[in-house]
Amino acid sequence: MTTPLTFAVPKGRILDEALPVMARAGVVPADAFHDKKDRSLSFATTREDMRLIRVRAFDVATFVAHGAAQVGIVGSDVIEEFDYSDLYAPVDLDIGHCHLSVAEPKEGAESIDGASHIRVATKYPNITRRHFEAQGIQAECVKLNGAMELAPSLGLAGRIVDLVSTGATLKQNGLVEKDKIVEITARLIVNRAALKTDPRVAALVEAFRANAAQDAD
Amino acid sequence: MTTNTDDLLPVGLSDRLPREAAIATHAMRAVLGAMDSHGYDRVRPPLVEFEKSMAERMDGVQPRKMFRFVDPVSLRTMALRSDMTVQVGRIAATSLAAAPRPLRLCYAGEVATITSDQLDPARQRLQLGAELIGNDTVAAAAEVVALAIESLEAAGATGISVDFTLPDLVDILSAKAMPLDADQIAAVRGELDTKDAGGLKQAGGEAYLPLLYATGDFDTAIEQLAAIDAGGALTSRIDGLRAIAARVSGKARITLDPTERHGFEYQSWFGFTIYAEGVRGALGRGGTYTICGTDGAATGFSLYIDRLIDALEEGEGRRDAVFLPLDHNANAAAKLRAEGWRTVAALTEADDGVALNCSHILEADTVRSY
Repeated sequence: MTTPLTFAVPKGRILDEALPVMARAGVVPADAFHDKKDRSLSFATTREDMRLIRVRAFDVATFVAHGAAQVGIVGSDVIEEFDYSDLYAPVDLDIGHCHLSVAEPKEGAESIDGASHIRVATKYPNITRRHFEAQGIQAECVKLNGAMELAPSLGLAGRIVDLVSTGATLKQNGLVEKDKIVEITARLIVNRAALKTDPRVAALVEAFRANAAQDAD
Repeated sequence: MTTNTDDLLPVGLSDRLPREAAIATHAMRAVLGAMDSHGYDRVRPPLVEFEKSMAERMDGVQPRKMFRFVDPVSLRTMALRSDMTVQVGRIAATSLAAAPRPLRLCYAGEVATITSDQLDPARQRLQLGAELIGNDTVAAAAEVVALAIESLEAAGATGISVDFTLPDLVDILSAKAMPLDADQIAAVRGELDTKDAGGLKQAGGEAYLPLLYATGDFDTAIEQLAAIDAGGALTSRIDGLRAIAARVSGKARITLDPTERHGFEYQSWFGFTIYAEGVRGALGRGGTYTICGTDGAATGFSLYIDRLIDALEEGEGRRDAVFLPLDHNANAAAKLRAEGWRTVAALTEADDGVALNCSHILEADTVRSY
């Protein structure tokens, strides 16, 4: 088979931790990848039949779910949010640890809530809705793409649902963590059809899994 | 320039223009022909029927995803079919209840859903399938898998691979060998569905972890599964899978993924998914199931060949056709058609055979190439 494999990695938080893990599984990007001035989005790797693309975390899941990329690395928050049926997350890479939490102002969120529902500012409307639904609460989500912490103080929403690693950002903005929704780690994700029809994808999963198992011992 | 938005088609619905329509017709005939040659009789259920009869025939059918409306005659809710398998189940359980078993039926038709997702935006699909009613044994499963492969090959698919699964695996294992609390089962199933190793541990399904890894090429994966098999709960299933794989070996690449459950809402002990090279996503799936309201076991499969048609499109060239000028000999033209030629007759002097996609022209009662 000559069609190239495409490996999608997210910009930002997870990438620095992910590169050594990828290197151990034999996925090493070409030098241009580390060149800050290089504006291209697609990079060669040391493997001739593989290229790397660097996109936003949410887009990693979308590229892989559609089969445009066969393999990727992304946080489990993104996987949960999309709940794509064609996405597998066969290896927990044990990097990028944080958790997804509900936070509200120190003095409480009641002043902004409606009588029958609450308002939540978040990047994760689906997870948020499911979380509150399970408690019998209708959550009205305001989708934001960043700086969620501003929402309560400006009256946009009473609560926020966001990733928390140290809690410093919350504290600085006068918020306290209330409920932990789920622990997050980065996962290796693969396209379902690609895993079943392309042996190279299965081999890659095997390599990542073997390394993860070694670390666990 | 203004655009008339009334002419736009809704999301997920599209026209098949002549070239694609020709390929679709050819593929559909080929699949039905393969099924017919194995003794499967075609049935044609209606496009619309009562919602209840479609919803209750098989487990896991979601009426919420159907186009539904009130029948002005009976005042009951009707629905547009979203899966013809349930209709064939109804026919087998009612009109053909007395027919001798095993009953072999096949069908082809359009189905629709009211919603779709970003991954597969299509809301109308061409469904073709065959059902072997009255039997869900290994022999039935092997016949059905072999027929599914043969049907797709006839339609033009190449590089076919079949992925086996055990849809009721969690039910079997959680009963005794790998016990789970009732409230854990759904979560464990969900994590198995996404093959999420980390999530599976969190959901309390650590015992199920090795199952995630017993996937891949059939011969090695089935050994792994046999090694895991706790307390022999799966022995009969593993033997069954081996027998089916032996029957179809050499016809397609076989893989195993015991925890796969996507699209297997009503299947019982055995399920399979079919893929072909160059076609994104699955082309069809099948397995063993029970027709509710009867004690009838059945085995069958459905193919959704729209994506195959898209993939085949490029391969098909222009077809030969003979242009018939205004003053042509009608008898000569009739003779050509009898020989299998397509003819395109001129209606005015201005008609041009080349512009009308003809490859030949009839001149002085003989066919000449353009």
